[in-house]
Amino acid sequence: MRRITRIVTVGATTAALALTATACGNKSSSDTASSGDSAGAKAAIAYDVGGRGDQSFNDAAFAGLEKAQKDLKIKGSAAEPSDGEADADKIQRLTELARAGNNPVIGVGFAYAPAIKKVAAKFPKTTFGIIDDASVTDKNIANLVFNEEQGSYLAGVAAAKVSKSKTVGFIGGVETPLIKKFEAGFEQGVTDTDPKVKVLSQYLTQPPNFDGFSKPDLGKAAAQGQLDKKADVIYAAAGLAGSGSIEAAAKAGKWAIGVDSDQYNQKGLATYKDSILTSVTKDVADSVFNLIKSVQDGKPQSGEIRYGLDKDGVGLADSNPAFTKMTDVIGAVDKAKQEIIDGKITVKTTP
Amino acid sequence: MKKFDKDRLILGLAGPALALVVAVALTSLVLLVSGRDPIEPYQIMFDSASYVDVQVLIINQAGTYYLAALAVAVGFRMNLFNIGVDGQYRLAAMVAALVGANVGLPGPLRIALIVLVAMLVGALWSGIAGILKTSRGVSEVVSTIMLNAIATSLVAWLILPKNFGVQPAGSNNLTTGDIPESAWFPGLSLGPEAGEIYGFTFVAVACGVIYWFVLGRTRFGFDLRATGASESAAQASGVDAKKMVLTSMLLSGAVAGLVGMPTLLGDTHTYSIDFPAGIGFMGITIALLGRNNPVGIALSALLMAFLVKSSASLDQHGYEKEIADIMQGLIVISVVVSYELVRRYGLRRQQQKVGEELAAGGALKTEKEEAAL
Amino acid sequence: MELRGITKRFPGVVANHDIDITIHKGTVHALVGENGAGKSTLMKILYGMQKPDEGTITVDGAEAHFASPADAIARGIGMVHQHFMLADNFTVLENVVLGGEQLYGIGSKARKKIKEISDAYGLGVRPDALVEDLGVADRQRVEILKVLYRGARILILDEPTAVLVPQEVEALFDNLRELKAEGLTVIFISHKLGEVLSVADDITVIRRGTTVGTADPAHTTPKQLAELMVGSELPSPETRESTVTDRPTLTVDELRLTATDPDGVVREVLDGITFTIHQGEVLGIAGVEGNGQTELIEALIGMRDPDGGTITLDGADLSHAPTRKRREAGIGYIPEDRHRHGLLLEAPLWENRILGHVTERPNSRRGLLDPRAARTDTVRIVREYDVRTPGIEVTAASLSGGNQQKLIVGREMSHSPKLLIAAHPTRGVDVGAQAQIWDQIREARREGLAVLLISADLDELIGLSDTLRVMYRGRLVADADPATITPEELGSAMTGAATGHLDAAPAADAPDAAEAPPEDDAR
Repeated sequence: MRRITRIVTVGATTAALALTATACGNKSSSDTASSGDSAGAKAAIAYDVGGRGDQSFNDAAFAGLEKAQKDLKIKGSAAEPSDGEADADKIQRLTELARAGNNPVIGVGFAYAPAIKKVAAKFPKTTFGIIDDASVTDKNIANLVFNEEQGSYLAGVAAAKVSKSKTVGFIGGVETPLIKKFEAGFEQGVTDTDPKVKVLSQYLTQPPNFDGFSKPDLGKAAAQGQLDKKADVIYAAAGLAGSGSIEAAAKAGKWAIGVDSDQYNQKGLATYKDSILTSVTKDVADSVFNLIKSVQDGKPQSGEIRYGLDKDGVGLADSNPAFTKMTDVIGAVDKAKQEIIDGKITVKTTP
Repeated sequence: MKKFDKDRLILGLAGPALALVVAVALTSLVLLVSGRDPIEPYQIMFDSASYVDVQVLIINQAGTYYLAALAVAVGFRMNLFNIGVDGQYRLAAMVAALVGANVGLPGPLRIALIVLVAMLVGALWSGIAGILKTSRGVSEVVSTIMLNAIATSLVAWLILPKNFGVQPAGSNNLTTGDIPESAWFPGLSLGPEAGEIYGFTFVAVACGVIYWFVLGRTRFGFDLRATGASESAAQASGVDAKKMVLTSMLLSGAVAGLVGMPTLLGDTHTYSIDFPAGIGFMGITIALLGRNNPVGIALSALLMAFLVKSSASLDQHGYEKEIADIMQGLIVISVVVSYELVRRYGLRRQQQKVGEELAAGGALKTEKEEAAL
Repeated sequence: MELRGITKRFPGVVANHDIDITIHKGTVHALVGENGAGKSTLMKILYGMQKPDEGTITVDGAEAHFASPADAIARGIGMVHQHFMLADNFTVLENVVLGGEQLYGIGSKARKKIKEISDAYGLGVRPDALVEDLGVADRQRVEILKVLYRGARILILDEPTAVLVPQEVEALFDNLRELKAEGLTVIFISHKLGEVLSVADDITVIRRGTTVGTADPAHTTPKQLAELMVGSELPSPETRESTVTDRPTLTVDELRLTATDPDGVVREVLDGITFTIHQGEVLGIAGVEGNGQTELIEALIGMRDPDGGTITLDGADLSHAPTRKRREAGIGYIPEDRHRHGLLLEAPLWENRILGHVTERPNSRRGLLDPRAARTDTVRIVREYDVRTPGIEVTAASLSGGNQQKLIVGREMSHSPKLLIAAHPTRGVDVGAQAQIWDQIREARREGLAVLLISADLDELIGLSDTLRVMYRGRLVADADPATITPEELGSAMTGAATGHLDAAPAADAPDAAEAPPEDDAR
């Protein structure tokens, strides 16, 4: 008797669940969303791990969207990923955004590549953007990629010039091919300028642990280690974690080089701004804005859109007056920049 | 006899129900305190979950969670806390993907090989913790946490292009190369809108049945449960505790090895650096919530998958989707507290009932009494 | 002190009802009753740990209401628990003043007071000794002193003799008499009827939660008292007939086991243990706890691997065999601590029936459990061994100690063992169950079972055993004939005072002891 009771209970529970599942299971999330009218133009971005507030990559993309909202009078929306999600979730998110009438839909980060590939095929009239990936292509996909190594090369030139101890440090946030491009360019820049300068390289975490982009204490500890090894210029390509490196370098009275945006002007780092020699900028915001604008203008971008030194998509910030006063350094940087643009120097993308 | 069973069922459900109610109430409180509508987020989540494509996502995710929770539950049943499921499945999925992409075997055989490799690697990784525990007395909690970190580094190293990884042209990702389409695990398609349920989700269900059978119906399962219930009693009853620790650690790791399979075989077909992480930890929550019972775990896996997937749309309605994270955390805390409360209450209650029934002459007849009749 | 109409209900159960007791000042008053008769609830009420639903407590003519033990202490009631509540790494002085610092401070005044009490009642307590260095009896005296230090005039002692050897029991009783002489009142809870009769001035019997009568120790026999307790006539003790054969079942030869204590010192816990148990023989091992009995059992069942010597069961060498193999080879085991080693408390009875015999029928077939057969067989055990339970799906934890033990005995006997290791088989078991367990052991012995019996209950040892050995510091130091030995002689051998063959009993006593093997059945 008792066993039967148990089986019946389990069976009933399962059946009840199945019923609820089927009862409301006849529509998909994008059906209702598609009712979104096409009255106003809309654009959307889907964030990478970390989401908004990472003071780096995702925020930069959002800045581009914001600018488009203001300047182009479009309605922007953004969607966050969840931890440990699979491609299926990204597909669902992009589909939902596309169905809601957003055009373009931009995936922030290379992880969106497989999902963009699939969703783009389903929405041929929508333009999809993907940042940092050129591996998936279609006529309605715009691959927004950057020559991070070029900007980093210039940082390497500057670092080699200002270093007195002949030792400089590189701190990468998470050991991914993308960050390796920063490392490769920086190293090459240093060595080309002064072969006697030693580059200390270090990564904070390895995927799938992305703490290296978000935890300043990790950056601080790593920078401390490099300072102890006599480094006097530290370049951190580590998102929010990089602010820890800047703090450590500033407190030790050494130079720090920022990344992504011009960190000299960042409010959160105002205390240490005098120690921020320069920053390697990567204009994600601009690329997002450009893509949205191209769609608005009726000439949507497609294929690989490369942002290098030539288009000022990457570059070296010059907000710190102390930096601009170092004329020999500036001279060397400008010379290197020109040589890269002219193709006289080819910067490696892997260390 | 029937009465006791009904009681047990009610008590069994009381724990999770209490935990859920408390967790929801506390989450609402958090929302209220932060000046938000305490009800609307739930509505949004339920709305979101009423869409068939979201339901497919929930089911697929639940399948993955289910495997992770089973892996954890095998350990729990024996009082072993395998925190290392996360590292085990990631390493297993990576190596299995590598083998799958590079070994030339016809489709089904290749799938079998991938799954086998995954289980072996998972078991190998957890086995290290098992051996450390049996030979040196190292707590498996500590060693599996360490092994998680080592697995992360090992995967990161193995996947470097100079070792075994592949960097597709134009991509900033690293993968293990693609598994050919012949070795994709067929799924159950519910139409173009809904997407497909991973075929491996059904394997997960089968694993649940096997789990139930092995633990509930075999000598080995009895030994394992006995060891978990009382190590001293199990030892006195003839269970070799060390062997049991090692075996259950290996089993737990082998099941953990399967965790990455639904995604690998049904979706990505390669292991890349953005392969889903953290599922092992979710498995701990789910095993706790489901009380290590295969049906309970299934329901909890669905619940957690529901929370994660349906909360994805919250941020488009002006709510942080971290609300679901808060709720998950609160569920864990309430679960631990409420289960202990219910357990103690149940034990007291049963002792009283036994006393009562005996006093009322409800005992099973013994020979002596029969003779007296 | 008077108790009138005390009733205490727990939801669904009445633990005590209409308890009426009058305790006269300056007497030793014994409360006797079976386990589960309601003694402990009553005690908790007396000591303020629980409040009665009905009834009154009167102390020295004034009605008393205790909300907590503190109230009871304030009214001069103190309690000595069965399990000592002392901090091992503190001295006696520190333990006594702990929690009572405001009385006499913690310095010389306290020391003086302790000396005073100790001398007044002949407790012989040394204030500066570390508690961990004290024996059981000394610890008990510290507990008594602790209570007196707090000004108790009425002492409740919960089963104080359970942990003592006969000599220590006598010493305790001397202390109690001193207390009585000083005008203190002692409430003495026990189910050892012989002791109760020797020390108590009044006896109150509790059965099924209520007082069923009083007895005058001067005119009561243990048997009468036991019948009052149990409520029915007891099975009469069996006449002894030897069933010992010359076919050895278990042969232990020069068994050695060492253990490393926390200080890293290697000690011999078993030193050259040699004995043989024949079919149909009960070998009893006497000894003060902690002299290697536990280790011997664990070495025999395979939970510890011996460092030397051999264990042979029925011709097969099992010296280093795993526990499961030994069990399958026919060793039944009634563990000393049934909660730690004998049961899965939160598992249902039928799963407990499987425990220890998972590889044997009817529990499993070819690696698979057979829950149906196991359930059926559990019902059989419940019936045959008189386990009082409403069903086999209840957890083991919900049974009383005696019924748990009967289940274990039934389980171990169900696999027709060749050897039964019985460690304290009737500890914490009530009188009725005790007699049944003894009967079952005797019956199995008649059928050729060899039994290794270890017990702290000397009457049980003498009454059941065919051969007796005394264990002291890991060695078998003496042997004795249960037909002639008295508990006192055995007790002194257990302290290491006597070795070799114990044959000191005057011939006149021998028939007596042989004829009435234990009043045990009556207890």
